[in-house]
Amino acid sequence: MGMVRRYWRLLGIQLKASGLLALQYRADFFTEGITSLFWTFTALAPLFVVYGERSVVEGWGFAEALLVVGWFTLLQGILEGAINPSLTGVVDHIRKGTLDFVLLKPADAQFLVSTQRFLPWRAFNVLTGLGLFVYAFAKLGHGPSVTGVLASVLLLGTSTLLLYSLWILTVSAAFFVVRVDNLTYLFTSIFDFARWPSSVFQGVARGALTIFFTYVIPLALMTTFPAQAMLGRLPLPALAGAVVGSAAFAWVARRVWLRSIGHYTSASS
Amino acid sequence: MISVRGLRKHYKVHKRPPGLKAALRSLVHRSYTTVKAVDGISFDIRPGERVGFLGPNGAGKTTTLKVLSGLLHPSEGEVTVDGHVPRLREEAFLKKIMLVMGQKQQLLWDLPPAETFELNRAIYDVPAAQYKQTMDELISLLDIGDLIGKPTRQLSLGERMKCELAAALIHRPRVLFLDEPTIGLDVSMQATMRTFIKDYNEKYGATLILTSHYMDDVAALCPRVIVIDKGLLSYDGSLDALVQRIRPEKRVVLRLSEQVDAARLAPLGGKVVTHEAGTAVLQVRQEAVNATISRALAGLPVTDLTVENAPLEEVMSELFAENKARREAAAHEAPASESVPA
Repeated sequence: MGMVRRYWRLLGIQLKASGLLALQYRADFFTEGITSLFWTFTALAPLFVVYGERSVVEGWGFAEALLVVGWFTLLQGILEGAINPSLTGVVDHIRKGTLDFVLLKPADAQFLVSTQRFLPWRAFNVLTGLGLFVYAFAKLGHGPSVTGVLASVLLLGTSTLLLYSLWILTVSAAFFVVRVDNLTYLFTSIFDFARWPSSVFQGVARGALTIFFTYVIPLALMTTFPAQAMLGRLPLPALAGAVVGSAAFAWVARRVWLRSIGHYTSASS
Repeated sequence: MISVRGLRKHYKVHKRPPGLKAALRSLVHRSYTTVKAVDGISFDIRPGERVGFLGPNGAGKTTTLKVLSGLLHPSEGEVTVDGHVPRLREEAFLKKIMLVMGQKQQLLWDLPPAETFELNRAIYDVPAAQYKQTMDELISLLDIGDLIGKPTRQLSLGERMKCELAAALIHRPRVLFLDEPTIGLDVSMQATMRTFIKDYNEKYGATLILTSHYMDDVAALCPRVIVIDKGLLSYDGSLDALVQRIRPEKRVVLRLSEQVDAARLAPLGGKVVTHEAGTAVLQVRQEAVNATISRALAGLPVTDLTVENAPLEEVMSELFAENKARREAAAHEAPASESVPA
């Protein structure tokens, strides 16, 4: 119990430090807000183009596809606000050799590096995502079911865990190749596919892409599943699969991380 | 406290000759060479000792410190620090040690040092009362009361280093590894750091290992030195004994009220090291020092006189040159084998 309390306290202090920093850069709130809105509209543009021609694509109506974009935007807020800053910091640590200080601390290194930096203003994307949900359901003319909401909240947890684990895997590569800037770009570009319902890729390479995005890089689990859950369309086995799958992913990421630390050679001084 | 037996740390590095052709070939066929950063060293350090690691750049000092602090895994050999095996990085072990690196910093760059202190307090689980006492002490000894509220990026290098040291000592480590802690600092700041480090060692009985390029640091802090050269241990003992062995001669420095002829220095005995503008430095065998001084006082207009050891820098470079010559001779005799330990 003492250990859990200690890590909560650590998290609190790390959040406080990030909060203090964020307050130093207050103007960011407005720039983030404007950028977020701008990117959301850019993200919606292709949707308008596609749905201008037809009303349903691979079983997804406009308002339903809007939910997927909503989830995409929300997760992007979490990714850029809570996951990305810390883990990009790890790459810096490795390059400069200051990861030494992290490894010298009597606390879990993965925890320390994962909580070292938050950008609260990036949370604006989360608000934009929620706004899109409201708009989409208004268009649909009905609200989500209670079970739908519960399931999607659960999936928010699994999606965040998946995103985080994917990032840990990417960052682990930094121990071996040092320069992972390209890798992180690749990651963000692949994540971009998550703005579309996964079934739209059905026609590509005989569905290989859908399978790829479900099992290899589980983008479908992150945005399509929660949207389906909100609509009350997600089969129970898929929900269970998301929970088990994300847990397995996190486990693998943890193993890889521990392995990679062992491989750390520390920058020479 | 610290025991090191036959420590080796070898790195496999990818080696590529210069040129585009070689670069292309290395894409397919990679050749590796083994770098022997540390190649079989053993020593013991008692609790509360202050030991200096000396050696040229790339000798393996930092590597050894990093192995001792658990950051690097040894390729071979046994290492224990206060009964712990460092590479296992047990919490109990990590709470006892700290590594301070003059060239790297743990302070959060955009926030005041006080935030880093607070974070370290939580990480090391320091009880509130002890934290307050330690902080008060560190703040007054290092004179950092005005600094800890300013963002780190606004501090000067010296101010930052003092705060670095404070951040490293919040959990009162019993073993302190200092890797070039005074690098880049001015002379008075170096002296402040030295006094502080020595006080910490005496007050808490902490064991201390220091590497530094400033021989003054080592001379002031470390009664015992371990010299590492090319990954091998080439000397372990007191600093005085090392100076005795390499440069048994003393330096007699004479300040003269008037310029004297070089010929008048010759009969004093010993070798003239420098002679300019009223100051003459003679290198004299220890047993001849008394005779030289008497002769100088009798025959020259001496206003001031000091007897010193040869500068440590000179002692060290002579030792390294000696080691190098020995290595080359050994390689010449036995070309088949690699290097022979000294």
